[in-house]
Amino acid sequence: MFPEKNDVMNNRKVRFLNEPYLIINIVFAGVILLIFAYSGIFSPDKDSYPVVCIHQKLTGQPCVSCGLSHGFSLIVRGRIAEAYTWNIYAMRVFLFFASQLFLRTVFSVFYLKYPDTRRQLILVDCIGSGIIFFVAFWPFMVSIISGIF
Amino acid sequence: MEEVRNNSGQNLGIAALVTAVITFVLAVIPCVGLVAIIPGIIAIILATVGLSQANRNNSPRGVALAGLIIAIIASMISLSQIFVAGKIAQKADKWPNNIQNIINDVQDNVTREIQDNNVSIKIESNGDKVEINTNPNKKDQEKTLEELEGGDKAKADTLNKKADTLQKKTGNVPRKK
Repeated sequence: MFPEKNDVMNNRKVRFLNEPYLIINIVFAGVILLIFAYSGIFSPDKDSYPVVCIHQKLTGQPCVSCGLSHGFSLIVRGRIAEAYTWNIYAMRVFLFFASQLFLRTVFSVFYLKYPDTRRQLILVDCIGSGIIFFVAFWPFMVSIISGIF
Repeated sequence: MEEVRNNSGQNLGIAALVTAVITFVLAVIPCVGLVAIIPGIIAIILATVGLSQANRNNSPRGVALAGLIIAIIASMISLSQIFVAGKIAQKADKWPNNIQNIINDVQDNVTREIQDNNVSIKIESNGDKVEINTNPNKKDQEKTLEELEGGDKAKADTLNKKADTLQKKTGNVPRKK
């Protein structure tokens, strides 16, 4: 007896849901795509961004990430020099998201293709992504830490 | 016989993970890090409920657990940002008073410096030159005033006498300006 089509689909779904790593990758890639879509939809020339700096509204002081949306929109449009004038760290944060989008895809493919090396793959991913994260967000972290102490 | 595992709590776990990842991305950006606490709490609740359901029905807990860990880290980052913003806002309340004090200090310094210096004003118009030199030194001014009040009393008296004799001779009353 051949298994029914619905049973095959259900089995695949259950197997997929048993892989948290793949779900995390898909979710993170989705969030990054949403960020890129946000940067692409809102024009830096019209300056109609719905997200305002809450930090500046509360304290009256501009924060280290002010102008990041503008910077992202300009980078997406290829105006990189202008992006630096809006926020000096826009490029490195953008590169973090771009690299993560690429790494999520690559690591997911490797995860499915080579099931024997899954543990090593996750370890390499965690360490690599952690380093990239710290390099990209270091100025923001410094501003938060210096504010506490 | 294969072990039967259902996916109870998995959907909640995925929802928690999505919310937690969004929270994390928001939390590390100072501009919006303050509001990240709201999705952070939602993610923690979703993950906890998903985890308890998964425990009850012996279904996989990985996604819910990952969501819970990411949500807790993101919420902590967001909380630290609220703390930082509070500190800055507290400092900002004191800034107007500090600025007022600085302005007063500068004003006092400038006044003190001007008092001990000579002031020279030159006006030039159509070849005519007018130069006014003054020494606003307080001590000098006080000295001059004392001299005027004390030493010139006799001169002032003689001037009055002359005016009186002139009035008697002519019969005119000197006009006051």
